Amino acid sequence: MEIVLAILIGVLYTAGVYMLLRRSILKFIIGIIFLSNATNLLVFISSGIIAGQPAFVDGTTPSPNNLSDPLPQALVLTAIVIGFGIVVFTLALKFKFFETTGTDDLDQLQQTDN
Amino acid sequence: MQTLLLVYLVSAFLPFIFAGKLKKAIPFFLAFVHFGAFAYFFSKIERIGNGDILRETIPWVPQLGINFDLVLNGLSIAFALLITGTGVLVFLYAHAYMKSYKNLGVFYFYLFLFSAAMLGLVLSGNLIQLFVFWELTSYLSFLLISFFHEKESARNAAFQSLYLTGFGGLVMVAGIILLGSVVGSYSVSDWVVNAEILRAHQFYLPGLMLIFVGVFTKSAQFPFHFWLPGAMQAPTPVSSYLHSATMVKAGIFMLALLSPILGGTSAWTYTLTLTGAITMFMGAYFAITQTDIKAILAYTTISSLGVLVLLLGIDTALSVKAAMLFLFVHAFYKAALFMIAGFIDKKTGTRDWRNLGGLARSMPITFVFAVLASLSMAGLPPMLGFLGKELIYEAKVQSPVIAPYVLVLGVAGNALMIAVALFFLFKVFLGKAKNQVQIKVKTDWAYIIGPGILALLSLFFGLFPAFLGETIVEPALISILKRDYNVELKLWHGFNTVFFLSLFTVFLGFILFYVAYTRDSVLVKWRAFNQRIFSVRFVDVFNNLLKGFLSFSKRKTELVQHGYHRFYILTIFLVASIFLWYQVYVTIGWNLDNVFTLRPFYVSGLVLVIIISTIFSMVSKSRIATIITMGVAGYGIALLFMYYSAIDLAITQIIVETLILVMFVLILQRLPLFARLSSKTTRLRDLFIALSFGSAMTVLALKSINVNFNHPISDFMIENSYTKAYGQNVVNVILVDFRALDTLGEVTVLVVAALGVFVLLKTKKT
Amino acid sequence: MNAIALPIFIPFILIFVMVAVRNSRAAQLISVLGSTLLFVVSLYLFISLKDTKILTLNMGSWEAPFGISLVLDYFSGLMLVTASLIVLCLSVYTIYFMDDEHRNNMFYVFFFSLTMGVNGAFLTGDAFNLYVWFEVILISSFVLITLGNSKQQLEGGIKYLALNLIGSMFFLAGLGLLYGKTGTLNMAHLAHILRASEQPVLINTSAALFFMAFGIKAALFPLFFWLPASYHTANISVTSIFAGLLTKVGVYVLIRFFTLFFVQDQVFWLNLFLIIAGFTMVVGGMAASSHYDTRRILSYHIISQIGYMIMGLGIYTPLAIAGAIFFTIHNMIAKTNIFLVSGMINRSKGSFYLKDIGGLFKQSPILAILFILPAFALAGVPPLSGFFAKFILIKAGIEAGQYLIVAVAIATAMLTLYSMIKIWNEAFLKKAPESSEVEPYFKKPGFPELLPSVILGAASLLMGLFAATVFGYTMVAAEQLLVPTHYIESVLNGLNP
Repeated sequence: MEIVLAILIGVLYTAGVYMLLRRSILKFIIGIIFLSNATNLLVFISSGIIAGQPAFVDGTTPSPNNLSDPLPQALVLTAIVIGFGIVVFTLALKFKFFETTGTDDLDQLQQTDN
Repeated sequence: MQTLLLVYLVSAFLPFIFAGKLKKAIPFFLAFVHFGAFAYFFSKIERIGNGDILRETIPWVPQLGINFDLVLNGLSIAFALLITGTGVLVFLYAHAYMKSYKNLGVFYFYLFLFSAAMLGLVLSGNLIQLFVFWELTSYLSFLLISFFHEKESARNAAFQSLYLTGFGGLVMVAGIILLGSVVGSYSVSDWVVNAEILRAHQFYLPGLMLIFVGVFTKSAQFPFHFWLPGAMQAPTPVSSYLHSATMVKAGIFMLALLSPILGGTSAWTYTLTLTGAITMFMGAYFAITQTDIKAILAYTTISSLGVLVLLLGIDTALSVKAAMLFLFVHAFYKAALFMIAGFIDKKTGTRDWRNLGGLARSMPITFVFAVLASLSMAGLPPMLGFLGKELIYEAKVQSPVIAPYVLVLGVAGNALMIAVALFFLFKVFLGKAKNQVQIKVKTDWAYIIGPGILALLSLFFGLFPAFLGETIVEPALISILKRDYNVELKLWHGFNTVFFLSLFTVFLGFILFYVAYTRDSVLVKWRAFNQRIFSVRFVDVFNNLLKGFLSFSKRKTELVQHGYHRFYILTIFLVASIFLWYQVYVTIGWNLDNVFTLRPFYVSGLVLVIIISTIFSMVSKSRIATIITMGVAGYGIALLFMYYSAIDLAITQIIVETLILVMFVLILQRLPLFARLSSKTTRLRDLFIALSFGSAMTVLALKSINVNFNHPISDFMIENSYTKAYGQNVVNVILVDFRALDTLGEVTVLVVAALGVFVLLKTKKT
Repeated sequence: MNAIALPIFIPFILIFVMVAVRNSRAAQLISVLGSTLLFVVSLYLFISLKDTKILTLNMGSWEAPFGISLVLDYFSGLMLVTASLIVLCLSVYTIYFMDDEHRNNMFYVFFFSLTMGVNGAFLTGDAFNLYVWFEVILISSFVLITLGNSKQQLEGGIKYLALNLIGSMFFLAGLGLLYGKTGTLNMAHLAHILRASEQPVLINTSAALFFMAFGIKAALFPLFFWLPASYHTANISVTSIFAGLLTKVGVYVLIRFFTLFFVQDQVFWLNLFLIIAGFTMVVGGMAASSHYDTRRILSYHIISQIGYMIMGLGIYTPLAIAGAIFFTIHNMIAKTNIFLVSGMINRSKGSFYLKDIGGLFKQSPILAILFILPAFALAGVPPLSGFFAKFILIKAGIEAGQYLIVAVAIATAMLTLYSMIKIWNEAFLKKAPESSEVEPYFKKPGFPELLPSVILGAASLLMGLFAATVFGYTMVAAEQLLVPTHYIESVLNGLNP
């Protein structure tokens, strides 16, 4: 199954990068969301995945080998929340930008270079 | 000596402290400090002459071999006397010359700080320390040249001089470090001990050449000479002090310092004699066609510096002796002539000899001094200059291999110098008075005391050279040659080759002068001829190179920083893909243990759904469809988390996905529709890059699952979660206990993001 | 040593204080007091390194590598002290130089969250925790760069945000892969595992992702685009903060990671660093010399200077690493300072554009001196800090036989000199153009306005005069980095997991 998931990650990255390269800021943000989903999934599966064995312990000596690795889950959780904060800010920025300039086209953003 | 340098440093700040009436006393006071230093060095002459070396060491950065190493030996005392002695006169002169200008505090500050740096330079016993002072003199020279900073020409000239000397300095320090790495030290004495090793090492040639670049820029040697005429934009006291007597001699000092270490090889001899000879001739050649008297002096200075480099290049005892003597000869007459030129400028308001004439009547005393100095410059008896020239001829005649070429250029150069000197005297002081403006300047004694003393010294030492020879030149020579050497100077050498060469030179010089003086058209034609032949002016070359480079930079910058946001991203992903694929290729050795399987099918189905909705979201033209499919993909990933035992993760993912969807929908109505902005080829190109990156990530994901160096640390967390942290859900325990600091950061991010959105939306448009 | 956590917690508390405080005077006072405290604490921490050389703190007393460890060695100590000094100076500067409408307390919230992130990044000994601090820095800088909401700022902000988000994504992906391979996040533990491993080259793909991530953060060629597109749009106080802290955190992490555990396949990595360093220097320097807006010149110049730091990493001898650290510290101080001065130039003349201004030498000689100090320090004029920074690097390069990069470094130094002289000639020496209609904010800055620049200028000078001391510290830091056994042992505390 890991291979299938790895391919999924590849597809998500491809979609993310492709969307980032569009000129619309909205698509750009969607691209960011895809990328962050892909990355989260990558972190999640990278140390191996086990189905149906959530890391719950109740005092009986557990065997770590039978449980899913809880650490990547915690990391991804943190990353999701952080990513959420940043996406919200990006959306607000985009909104404000459109309000100020009336354009959604990233190619119009050329005044600050050169 | 360190006390002395400290006194110099403190005194440099005095111009800012002195206020009101005391302000007028500043130059006198600073001249007095110079005089004190001169007296100090003078008092040491005897000890140094006996072969003593005074040395003081203060550690600075000893780990890097950089120490503050002050050494007073025969060589450094000669330069120190020159610096402090002319310093006294220059400051007295500056008192009169600078009176009418503003910002004098700054001027004296720069100039005196320069004296301190120059003194530090010649007392350096450590080459890095020497470089430090070397750079300081360059920068102070920059500040002094641009003293009249509202004139664009002054700013440009200052920039040019700094750029060349600064460049030379950096190159030189690279050479010093290179050779220092052979010896493991930057101390001159260590280099002297290891001179043999240095000369035999493979770094010798590159190191030497790098140091030569520094020397040539500083001492205005061909082809770096052109900054010096430009430097005449500086106030005249600066020209006479920095750009004739002291700073430009720093390169000569460096050569003298290094000649016992690096000298004596053919690389040393040929490079220096060739450069020196070219510079010598070229300086004299261009001097005669100048019209600005300060420019004439600048070009003759270049010529004299060429002579000095040439002599140190010949590198025989005789030539070094000639060099040391000529150092003084040149300092005496050139500083004097500069001061006289400045005085004339003040008196008449012009420095163009075509507008000058007959000044001998209105400035009789100055005329006398000018005659003395010019004769010394021409190398005529009984002046010190004559002695110098005789010695130089002697050295050239005896120089190995290249003597004939050097002699031809030398005779030609000297003949030109004679012509220039006489021309200067006759055009400016004799002849008919031109209708130049007579500015009423109170004939301040301070204007003429400096040139007066210097000119008289030229005469005095010409008649009685023994003192100069035995007490100053001889110790200097001993510390350069590192062996005993007896210096005897005489005015009359008898009838020998050198005498006839001299006679011939004088003859040639007079003819040249006569032609130039009697027929004005000759010089005009000559100038025109030069302009045609030497159509390439070095200053222009420098400026054009710079300009070309700047516009090249501008174009390149616009190419790189073009403003197209997408291409920035494109570049980054392109670099990333190449990089990752290369690394995948390098680490190809790992084995893939997993078997491709679609079981369980409902998971495969889920993955398929995610993939399809992702692709749909990519290509859809409708905004709402794009967002909804994006949501579907997000929820699908949440289900995946759920299936693979990550309950908390799934819940979080669902909440976040929902919130994002809601926000998208909320602002969607206020945003424009998608427009298809890119062409098909663009989209294909983007897709290609996206695919190459995505596929690389797939490979990486598989690899990291299969490569395991270690048991994960989470085993410990599972074991201790309940017993030590009292929590059943290990993920939660990790978040709030094991890795609570992450959560703190996460909270901070959320708070900042929330406040950021608040500030962003609250602020009115500006 | 619980005090190690203070540089993180002091700004954390200040964030909430700033949200609560309404009065802006009070906020300014608190920010100055708070950053003074921060500076004192950092200094205290640095001094207390003397005995043990490395201080560690396991957060929540979970022993390493299971919890998160904070580690203070000489490298992070030096960076921490320098950063706190800059924060202190900026907290004073912003009182006078923030635009009116933003001189509200909100600015300080973001200012201190940025500080918290930077300090956290310097102190943490855990790779994922580092990611969190990077995100804190990122979101704070997003907000700071768009404070003001002008069109330019929003535009610059979007570019800044986009490219940095990609950088973060690379970072997180690299982390995931690294954890998948090694099963740990603690940096000392990573070093322990990877240095002992037989096939360490397998880690190279993760290293590549990290390199991309930090290369973007540090603004290396060809990943620097975000910097020149955005830095000059923000308020000058904000740009000064960024110039002093942001890219240097990227450099810090690059040096940390590539000396501590990415030490495999060094031929490839070090050559890559040298090539990139050379391009970064030259491209940045050329771009800087072709511009006429002080902020743009200085922004491009940041990039060019990053090249020197990476050059030190690429040469990879103790002397070179020490040189890189020395250079980084010098650059943080001098660069921040020159931005502060350019802010004052703007206030005195009403423009950043060199062709519109002039005559400052006459108008305000003090400003001239304050400009000369960092400008000459950056150009490498002895005896200021920059001279030694460059000297050490050139010496290290020559001794390591890397002549090409030394030649590039010298050429770049000439470009720097050109840029600095250009600003000096145009803004200070040239006569003020007649047509300048912009009403300046003040004629001459007063003492409190000048104070931050005076402090930083003095720091540049002292760092040169007492180069032996500073160099001694950087040398210890470099040795700790290149032979990290002590680091690994201190963090893992003899444990062998």
